[in-house]
Amino acid sequence: MKIDRRCFLSLVIGGAVGTTLTPVPWKLTDDIAIWSQNWPWTPVPEDGPSKFVKSVCNQCPGGCGITVRTIGDRAIKIEGQPDHPVNKGSLCPRAISATQHFYGPSRIQGPMKRAGERGQGKWEKISWDEAIKTVTEKLAELRTRGKPHTVACISDTDRNGSSYLLDRFLKAYGSPNFIRTPSSADAQELALYLSCGRQGTIGYDFRKADFILSFGCALMDGCDAAGQVMSAFGEQDKKTRLVQIEARLSDTAAKAAQWVPAKPGSETVLALGLGHVIVRDGLYNKAFIEDHGFAFEDWQDDAGNTHPGYRSLVQAHSPDKVAKATGLSEKVIESLARSFARARRPVAVSGLGSAAPVSLDQSLAVFALNALAGNFQKPGGVFLIDEPDYLSWTEMKIDKTASAGNQQPRVDGAGSERFAHTRYLPNQLPEAINSAKGDSPVQALLVAGGNPLYTLADTQAVEKAFEKIPFIVSFSTFMDETAEQADLLLPHPHFLESYQDVPTPRGMAHTVISLARPVVKPQYDTRPTADVVIQIAKNLGGFIENAFPWKNYEDFLQKSLSDQWKTLEKQGYWSDSKSRDTSLDEIFRTASQRFEFFPMSKLAAMNGNGNKKAGVEKIELPGDIAKMPLVLVPYISMRISDGAVANTPFMTKTLDANVVLENDVFVEINPKTASEYGLSQGDKATVKTQAGQAEVRVNLFEGIMPGLVAMPAGLGRTGFSDYIAGKGANVYGLVAPAVDPASGLNAAWGAKAAIAKA
Amino acid sequence: MTQQPQHTKTKRYGMVIDLDKCTGCGACMVACYAENNVPFRQDESDKMRSLNWIRVMKVDNGKPFPDTQVCYIPMPCMQCDGQHMQGHSPCVSVCPAVATDYDQTTGIVSQIYTRCFGCRYCMAACPYHARKFNWWDPKWPADMEKYLNPDVSARMRGVVEKCSFCYHRYQKARDKAYVEGREELHEDEYQTACAQACPTNAITFGDLHNPEHSVYSRSRSKTAFRLLERLNTNPKVYYLSSKSWVRRKADNYLEGENFEQIREKARKAAATH
Amino acid sequence: MTTPAIPEGVKRCPTRQFTLWLAVVGAVLLWGVYAMFLIWYKGLNQTGMNDAYGFALWIWADLAVIALGGGAFFSGFLTYIIGKKELKSIINYAVIIGFICYSSALLILALDIGQPLRGWFIFWHANVHSMLTEVAFCLSCYFAVLTIEFIPLVLENPKLDRIPFLHHLSHNLHEVMAVFAATGVFLSFFHQGSLGGVAGVLYGRPFAFREGLLIWPWTFFLFTWSAAAVGPCFTMLVTWLTEKITQKKLVRPEAFQLLAKISGWMLLTYMIAKIADTWYWAAVTAPSKGFSLMDFYSSNPVYGIWILIAELVICGIVPALILITRKGRENKPLLVTAAILAVLGVCINRWVMVLQVMAAPLLPFQDWYMYMPTWQEVATTILPVAYGAILISLAHRYLPVFPHEKELNPGQ
Ligand SMILES: Nc1nc2c(c(=O)[nH]1)N[C@H]1C(S)=C(S)[C@@H](COP(=O)(O)OP(=O)(O)OC[C@H]3O[C@@H](n4cnc5c(=O)[nH]c(N)nc54)[C@H](O)[C@@H]3O)O[C@H]1N2
Ligand SMILES: Nc1nc2c(c(=O)[nH]1)N[C@H]1C(S)=C(S)[C@@H](COP(=O)(O)OP(=O)(O)OC[C@H]3O[C@@H](n4cnc5c(=O)[nH]c(N)nc54)[C@H](O)[C@@H]3O)O[C@H]1N2
Ligand code: SF4
Ligand code: SF4
Ligand code: SF4
Ligand code: SF4
Ligand code: SF4
Ligand SMILES: [Mo]
Repeated sequence: MKIDRRCFLSLVIGGAVGTTLTPVPWKLTDDIAIWSQNWPWTPVPEDGPSKFVKSVCNQCPGGCGITVRTIGDRAIKIEGQPDHPVNKGSLCPRAISATQHFYGPSRIQGPMKRAGERGQGKWEKISWDEAIKTVTEKLAELRTRGKPHTVACISDTDRNGSSYLLDRFLKAYGSPNFIRTPSSADAQELALYLSCGRQGTIGYDFRKADFILSFGCALMDGCDAAGQVMSAFGEQDKKTRLVQIEARLSDTAAKAAQWVPAKPGSETVLALGLGHVIVRDGLYNKAFIEDHGFAFEDWQDDAGNTHPGYRSLVQAHSPDKVAKATGLSEKVIESLARSFARARRPVAVSGLGSAAPVSLDQSLAVFALNALAGNFQKPGGVFLIDEPDYLSWTEMKIDKTASAGNQQPRVDGAGSERFAHTRYLPNQLPEAINSAKGDSPVQALLVAGGNPLYTLADTQAVEKAFEKIPFIVSFSTFMDETAEQADLLLPHPHFLESYQDVPTPRGMAHTVISLARPVVKPQYDTRPTADVVIQIAKNLGGFIENAFPWKNYEDFLQKSLSDQWKTLEKQGYWSDSKSRDTSLDEIFRTASQRFEFFPMSKLAAMNGNGNKKAGVEKIELPGDIAKMPLVLVPYISMRISDGAVANTPFMTKTLDANVVLENDVFVEINPKTASEYGLSQGDKATVKTQAGQAEVRVNLFEGIMPGLVAMPAGLGRTGFSDYIAGKGANVYGLVAPAVDPASGLNAAWGAKAAIAKA
Repeated sequence: MTQQPQHTKTKRYGMVIDLDKCTGCGACMVACYAENNVPFRQDESDKMRSLNWIRVMKVDNGKPFPDTQVCYIPMPCMQCDGQHMQGHSPCVSVCPAVATDYDQTTGIVSQIYTRCFGCRYCMAACPYHARKFNWWDPKWPADMEKYLNPDVSARMRGVVEKCSFCYHRYQKARDKAYVEGREELHEDEYQTACAQACPTNAITFGDLHNPEHSVYSRSRSKTAFRLLERLNTNPKVYYLSSKSWVRRKADNYLEGENFEQIREKARKAAATH
Repeated sequence: MTTPAIPEGVKRCPTRQFTLWLAVVGAVLLWGVYAMFLIWYKGLNQTGMNDAYGFALWIWADLAVIALGGGAFFSGFLTYIIGKKELKSIINYAVIIGFICYSSALLILALDIGQPLRGWFIFWHANVHSMLTEVAFCLSCYFAVLTIEFIPLVLENPKLDRIPFLHHLSHNLHEVMAVFAATGVFLSFFHQGSLGGVAGVLYGRPFAFREGLLIWPWTFFLFTWSAAAVGPCFTMLVTWLTEKITQKKLVRPEAFQLLAKISGWMLLTYMIAKIADTWYWAAVTAPSKGFSLMDFYSSNPVYGIWILIAELVICGIVPALILITRKGRENKPLLVTAAILAVLGVCINRWVMVLQVMAAPLLPFQDWYMYMPTWQEVATTILPVAYGAILISLAHRYLPVFPHEKELNPGQ
């Protein structure tokens, strides 16, 4: 049949009209729309009945109780546990978004050994048996060679069951080198030990205090008591007066009734100045000092030498001098001292969260204010909490090799004659390794918690030291910066899939032990570090094996916690409010059985290291002030994780565009200072310090003291995942440690710095 | 006169956020992401393309050091009642496809993702930038899909989304009450994820009509205010601040206008409404 | 014997030249099509838009193109309803330009929505309160009318005309064209108005918001009025350009003069209304929401008071005055300048009512929002220009668009 044009056109038009009248195009249109509503690449989460499992957050030492909503074997969401004594339902963003890390691309999914060069990122999957065998053989070899003390272990804590087991393992094996990563608590705890004679933590009754004098504590910027403090702040109904001493208008300062912008580094002087006014005006608690104070007045030691007491010590810190040092007015100093002394339940707090570590003398000077107020063991005051004693220890026997190893001096120099009372000096470790002649004094390093390649000050020096260590094992849950440089990865499970005891968090005014527990089945081929350690001990045999009579960590916890285990299993925490009731007569365990304003033990230590000076008022920062006229100070943010574990993608998402923009981090700088350097908002600039330099952008902020450059801690990661790495710079790479002569701890409150437009 | 028990069928769910308490911690944002399956991307620093159902704005008083003060202002969807309080919220009245609607029983402005065809007229209409467009397909790397909340559907590229006052939580609470033969919900039965998460209890949530709910009296307090009240959007999100400069920042005023007076007048007018 | 495709009695450029021209414009078109493909495939992340700029370049292009396409309905109104026979000379072209404008608008809308596959929800789940619903309905209906108005012209192509069915269809359509024209006018009044309403009803946006009459904000009427005023200017401008390019006279001068005069008076009256509107908005509406006029014209790099002056004076009053004076109209360069200015003026107006609305901060702690289109947006916005050029070229070549072409170009 011949189709002419006319026929063709009629067919086409007729066909079009005909089709339109059938349901076909309409059905198709509808189907396409429905398809767009059910794109196969848009996930549809599976539903089911919800369960709410009580556990505890383990992402900082804060110990906040959590409730995890689960559906089937999925952890859906983390919420605060409303009845948990620590946080009463409050959580910081790290806990709320922890499921992102749990299920995220940063997880190490099973044991692996390095396949390429160190840091190349090439890994080969191995079995747990092989992994454990490798470690066992290495350790056995070092022991055979009589070098057990060249094994070191870095842990992020020394206060929970797994860290006790690690420490115990080293002792049984023969190494004194159990090292805990630095914490802003270090100086506080040392101060507590020296002035009160107790190893433990300082509790502040934030909920009942009516005046909180905070020396730069990041109470609401992400100190590890954040959960506690924020929940207390939320319930207080403005009855508490918070005074924040800090050079930068942090979020804590913004919430404070009064912001006192003292020059950074002058906190010790300020605390002594406040003491001066309180003593001068007789506003101190005379009864407390009479009954429980020591060295308030000048005193004589056993040898008959006279030493100045607190009264003489503060004599020199008259308001006019303190005003000069701090940049505050005399009026502010006077009124601050008076309002503190006249408050009914005041507490003075230092070092609870300081991106910049605090010197021992600052800790002592601030702690002394609490003694002037005499507010120990009273509601709204200061409580002294002992180290956890819930782990009932079975004695262990060690062999000769172990005992010889244990006698060796620690690599980090802690506990030496010079720093007799300091337990760990992680910041000295890089120097100790780098300056050693010949072989590295550390032949095998076990990193079990913590992320020293990221968190230790002066990253470059740490990297250099790590290169010299022949054998590095990381137990990290995540592919963090340290794991990236390790030889062997033995991943520890995430806290949502394993047991972990969490001791009383800092700041808590009574004992609370919490238990993290498997909320869902383990996601990947991981093993608790403690289980691995127990296995290695068994493999090594002999006394070492005998020191570990437990099947695994869970078995160990059950046995050690005995009665408390049941409570922990049931409600997730065990709380002992009786720990508040210890009377004043019993709490001080110093030689004088009193609160020591000027600790005798400190004197002894000072004599030991030949440092005759009474106090270190200000830690000098290294560097040439002419070339580096500014001061770089780190700050922490509630929305960034500065510690070993990076922030989650959700946390990064909350950051303003003037904190992180694309891959650039912003430093805060006062507009006045900025104009001196020709910098405007958003400009790219280079910040230089003695330790290194970083490309940044500039955020002009009136709330920061002129002359300072503030940079958030927690950025500049290389590890984890594409969602986290590569943003900004690590401020700790720019801040070299400054050794506190009184403690050996790092007390670098900042770094001398220069800034220039890039 | 005895007080009539408020057995009003229609609720006006609303929020009161105490800015004196808000520390800017971001927990509300993160809780909202986690509750509502809000996706994330490698770079979220373009804030105008970042899906956020609640944003915490940082505002300062503009004074130089050391007189500077800052305040955080969390901004979810204001759940506007609209001009004349009849549900003609700026966004609802403009949506050509009824993909966003005003629920008369709760006062909640809903969003139907599968109905929305992405014209973004509602975004143009919303003065609070509460509405967010899905510029990309959502993606959950590794095993992250496992944490998704089945109560809230994941959204596809090309549609608008926004804070729903966690409507799914309302539905759950309502269904539970129904099964138990109750008509009224207790205050704590229906709480939004952000209010629940706020570690300083800055956010309170409840029925603004119900005197037994804390938002009732808080929203009527002397220091309560809303954002951009003069636009007559009638938000159901209230703020409290003891600071005058913060209250001033909430709306626009001409030079010489006494903003507290204007606000007081508006408050009185609303009370007699 | 084959029928020539080119209408009888007119001269057209050689096929070679024509093909070359099509190739050049076609390349631009392809560039746009590629961008279009990217946008549909990858989504709107390919644009420079963001949550502050839900509406941007495309919506502006839509509003502008529809305002300019207003020449079709207004010339139709004048020709078929008022009975201005002079305009027969240009009405076909006005319809084609209108057709191009409206089809472009629909294409851009299809690009602009995040879920193009669900675009029809606007009809299916229509919200009668929404100005956009009104726009969508009127726009599609009017586009249908324009198509019907266009078809007879297409059918007049000598080759098509030979087919008896089409010949009769075309004839019958011509008979009823007045009805369609009237429908088109009615529809246009509404959708031009509802486009104005789109911005004017935004009571959350004090820069756009206008009070008004019943459910319609003043912008509703202003948009219709301005489209009627400037649409013919655009028709004239395109015609003038076509004449320049083809180097031929295509339209009788009376048609030009009449259109220019009516346009001029429309523009003048529009400007009076627009200035009154602006004054009321600046003096009453905005201050009631806490804004002073200068709040909208300061503290940002682009939107200064210049834009208001440009829109109202330079591209409003000035062309209006030129067009209403005989001397101005009859001076071709002046007439063209006036038309250009008027067209610019309405484009500025539509830009301001879309983009400045999005840019202006609302909360005192917010800043101006700035926006930069991506090449994909630019390419897809230029796409209709290329498409229009091609359609015009084809129409001009193959269809008897200008009834007086033969008479105006004797001896060709
Ligand atoms: N969100 C979040 N929370 C966390 C963490 C986290 O990474 N993210 N990390 C956890 C860990 S491991 C710890 S130890 C804690 C740490 O938390 P903190 O130690 O409490 O926090 P820092 O960042 O040290 O906050 C110290 C504050 O001191 C100020 N500052 C800086 N230099 C000086 C100075 O010289 N003097 C004074 N007075 N102030 C100064 C800074 O501006 C900053 O606001 O936080 C825990 N909690
Ligand atoms: N860049 C930078 N450096 C810093 C600081 C800083 O702010 N920024 N701050 C300093 C301060 S205050 C501190 S406290 C340190 C913190 O430095 P770290 O101690 O290194 O950090 P944390 O976050 O406490 O450590 C968490 C580690 O514990 C592991 N982990 C998590 N859960 C478990 C578990 O259940 N068991 C075991 N065994 N491991 C687990 C995680 O994988 C992670 O490696 O860094 C100091 N140095
Ligand atoms: S403060 Fe620490 S323990 Fe508490 S929720 Fe945050 S990360 Fe977890
Ligand atoms: S959670 Fe509460 S305190 Fe934190 S930012 Fe949100 S509203 Fe403010
Ligand atoms: S805040 Fe915006 S999105 Fe929410 S109801 Fe109001 S106008 Fe609609
Ligand atoms: S974007 Fe979606 S919700 Fe918004 S107006 Fe358009 S269709 Fe309605
Ligand atoms: S009410 Fe619910 S949806 Fe809205 S911001 Fe809060 S958590 Fe998000
Ligand atoms: Mo820490």
